[in-house]
Amino acid sequence: MAEDVMIAYEDVHKRFDTPVLSGVSLTVVRGETISILGTSGTGKSVLLKTTIGLITPDRGDVKIDGESVYHSSRTGIRDLRRTVRYVFQYAALFDSLNIYDNVAMGLDPETIKSLDKKLMLERIATSLENVNLDPAKVLSKLPAELSGGMRKRVGLARAIVGEPRIILYDEPVTGLDPVNAATVNRLIMSIAERTKVTSIVVTHDIEGALEMSHRVALLDNGKLRFVGGPEEFRKSDDPLVMAFADRQAAARAALKLIEHETSDDDNEPGSAHAVSIGV
Amino acid sequence: MTSIFSLPERLLAGFGRGCMGFARHVGQISLLTVRIVMAILQGGVSIKMIFAQAYEQGIGSLPLVLVTAVLSGIVTSQQGGYQFSSSVPLYVLGSVVASSVVLELGPVMTAFVLIGRVGARITAEIGTMAVSEQVDALVSLGRDPVSFLAAPRVIASMVVTPILVGVANAVGVLTGLLSAQATMGLGPEGFLYGARLYWHSWDLFYSLTKAFVFGFIIPIISVHMGLITHGGAEGVGRNTTTSVVFMIISVLVVDATFPPLFLN
Repeated sequence: MAEDVMIAYEDVHKRFDTPVLSGVSLTVVRGETISILGTSGTGKSVLLKTTIGLITPDRGDVKIDGESVYHSSRTGIRDLRRTVRYVFQYAALFDSLNIYDNVAMGLDPETIKSLDKKLMLERIATSLENVNLDPAKVLSKLPAELSGGMRKRVGLARAIVGEPRIILYDEPVTGLDPVNAATVNRLIMSIAERTKVTSIVVTHDIEGALEMSHRVALLDNGKLRFVGGPEEFRKSDDPLVMAFADRQAAARAALKLIEHETSDDDNEPGSAHAVSIGV
Repeated sequence: MTSIFSLPERLLAGFGRGCMGFARHVGQISLLTVRIVMAILQGGVSIKMIFAQAYEQGIGSLPLVLVTAVLSGIVTSQQGGYQFSSSVPLYVLGSVVASSVVLELGPVMTAFVLIGRVGARITAEIGTMAVSEQVDALVSLGRDPVSFLAAPRVIASMVVTPILVGVANAVGVLTGLLSAQATMGLGPEGFLYGARLYWHSWDLFYSLTKAFVFGFIIPIISVHMGLITHGGAEGVGRNTTTSVVFMIISVLVVDATFPPLFLN
């Protein structure tokens, strides 16, 4: 991939009660999908939020296409934000708006004014179809009437409806069952392939990350421990990277064992419930 | 473990922290006010959202405001009648009821209703949006939370509160009149004669101005407390309680500063 840098994190520091980010520098190439991995509390989401100014770094800078997110004019920041969409961990849909209005919020106010109602409906419906949702069934519903997986997909539809150049995913599969998680991962891949959008994915799903990403980065104690391709990650002899991969392997082995035991105990009352909690 | 600081030192430290917290809230509310004014001047506030909020705050609060006004009128009339029954002409009751309701009970009781019904709701609603990242989502989608969430609520409240207080004043005086007639035999002519005898047109202006200020204080505090909410459901509960306390104290402080400023 040519070195056409689109996003540059330059020595980003952030401290709350304790240091969260301690000098993170990372570049993301145009059209690239990069996943950021790490244990909970290592600053993955904080780093993602600095990209559009939801959290301001104490030190350092974030640049999009060479323009600083933190030293631009108000108009400049607004224009930058128009090119970036953020998919929140729990979708962050607006409770009081129906799905039509929620997805429409992904469009610029100027675009909303310029589109007539029919075109607007078409665009929103297309976005919903692109995330495998039936517009006829969901458009008039409120977020509370949808399942967790459907809400996440509406969050994706809201992110892509405005045809952004960058999409930031904050733990897109957290809280989803394996089937829905795989669906969301496939959607992220198909969106990236179809639109050539630059994507940063913060996730705990190692297998999903290795499958969908051009590169993966591992954050540890507020610093980047590893940045490289999926193959390099798998073959890395860094103890933390190995431990990370091993832990996932261990989790998969445990899951297989539980599934095996479940198939043996299918007739026992409450067994399905016990497994669902265990998984 | 015992503290190395003495009790007075700890009390002083607590007082200092309280003052700093108060100053921080005042600063943030001032900044929010400036940003609301800027949003209005830049035409970034949706008229549709203002009407929706005005309907919710005004029509939604009307039944409770009416109940409070009716009871305020009856209580004032009954207590005044009890005090005046022997030495003071009964028609003076009309003046007492009209002045009490218009100058004090109408605006303050309506403000308390709005604190409970509107202010607490605003803090809980925006607080929930803050902890569930909906406010961040607004920002990430290029929308200004001040234009989108704060300004419509504040503008609607500043329009609706004086109207509600006007209605509460009229209903309070009317029920005071009916109560005086029913229980003390003071007819409408006598009641209205007494009311007119000591009536100043300024009183109504004073009452509505107070309502206008309350109409600003209640939503600005509740929106501010909502926007700074963090810490999940517990944070929403904590900030809603704090918001109600701040609103009640602020309304009472403003209420206490109005007479020396405008009635002397």
